[in-house]
Amino acid sequence: MKCRKCKALAAVALPSHNTAFCPDCYPDFVRSQVERAVHRHKMIAPGDRVLVAVSGGKDSLALTLLLHELGHDVHGLHVDLDIPGSSTDARAACEGFFAKLGLPLTVVELRREGLAIPLVKSRIKRPICSVCGKLKRHYFNKFALENGYSVLATGHNLDDEVSRLFANTIRWDASYLSDQGPVLPAADGFARKIKPMYRLTEFEIANFSFLRGIDHVIAGCPYSGRASFPVYKGLWSGLEERMHGAKVQFYENFLRDGRPVFAAWAEHREDPLSPCTVCGYPTSAAVCGVCRIKTMVAAASDTPNT
Amino acid sequence: MIQVRLEPQGREIRLPKACTALKLLRELGLGINSALVIRDGELLTPDRRLNIGDEIVVRTVTSRG
Repeated sequence: MKCRKCKALAAVALPSHNTAFCPDCYPDFVRSQVERAVHRHKMIAPGDRVLVAVSGGKDSLALTLLLHELGHDVHGLHVDLDIPGSSTDARAACEGFFAKLGLPLTVVELRREGLAIPLVKSRIKRPICSVCGKLKRHYFNKFALENGYSVLATGHNLDDEVSRLFANTIRWDASYLSDQGPVLPAADGFARKIKPMYRLTEFEIANFSFLRGIDHVIAGCPYSGRASFPVYKGLWSGLEERMHGAKVQFYENFLRDGRPVFAAWAEHREDPLSPCTVCGYPTSAAVCGVCRIKTMVAAASDTPNT
Repeated sequence: MIQVRLEPQGREIRLPKACTALKLLRELGLGINSALVIRDGELLTPDRRLNIGDEIVVRTVTSRG
């Protein structure tokens, strides 16, 4: 198999694009996909300070490298979940990577917030992946707003987005379908959120990370064994192999034809957000989800024999 | 024998005869875009031949949280 650009021996075959690239040309393909996403959706304006949410995995570290190389002002934020056998490696990967690039990185430790994930898991009878996601989103948003970052970037890839869209579609969750996309505009109490990697699959990013020597964590989270997204990703992987381009078609056609319908529906729906009475961040209830989690964890800790 | 290490599981298997990277992925029940196939620090496309004596890493790409 030969590289489409220079005809050298290919290292990466991409059936969805009906093409292949050598190690030297492949990173240009990945960079062009990110550049195209940023440009098409006007994700980053000149002068924007970009906060990148980093987990230590391939996607967020590759995103950091790409945005940095594209000339954007990048700062990393890592949330240390305090999960044994996982969080130490994830944090070390982030710290090592940012030190190597000479870029600033801030670490928020959930343990210091009284919200170490093993403690939360032992106290709350809800799927831990959902609770963990809520906590991470809260601290990423809070840090961005309190420190003057105009954009919050995440490493969500095409597989993440397709899985999420599929999950929302299975439930016909009109509310989530109304605003799913690569850009979520800033709103009162919410930073602008962007997903510049949304055009790239996990496979494409894994190849890029390997070829660029990104030292990322490979092992998965030990608590994610029952998460539903890997199931959806497996289904879509099988579909993509039989129907090349199915993922990107499902997602891009939703953005073009589906989302506007749900967005129009959402405009007529009354779902006002108001400041949380405890922390002040927007919520549809009196007290936001994160403050309710904090209260539940603290209450369980105060109860004997729990 | 071809030695194959699966990541992130850390499991190791051995294949008795030469095959292609695609055949290896099929043997492992993996799709062609589900894993990287690596030999001596080099990425292999599905059509590349694996030879007796090769040490191969198959790294699945699906993130799990």
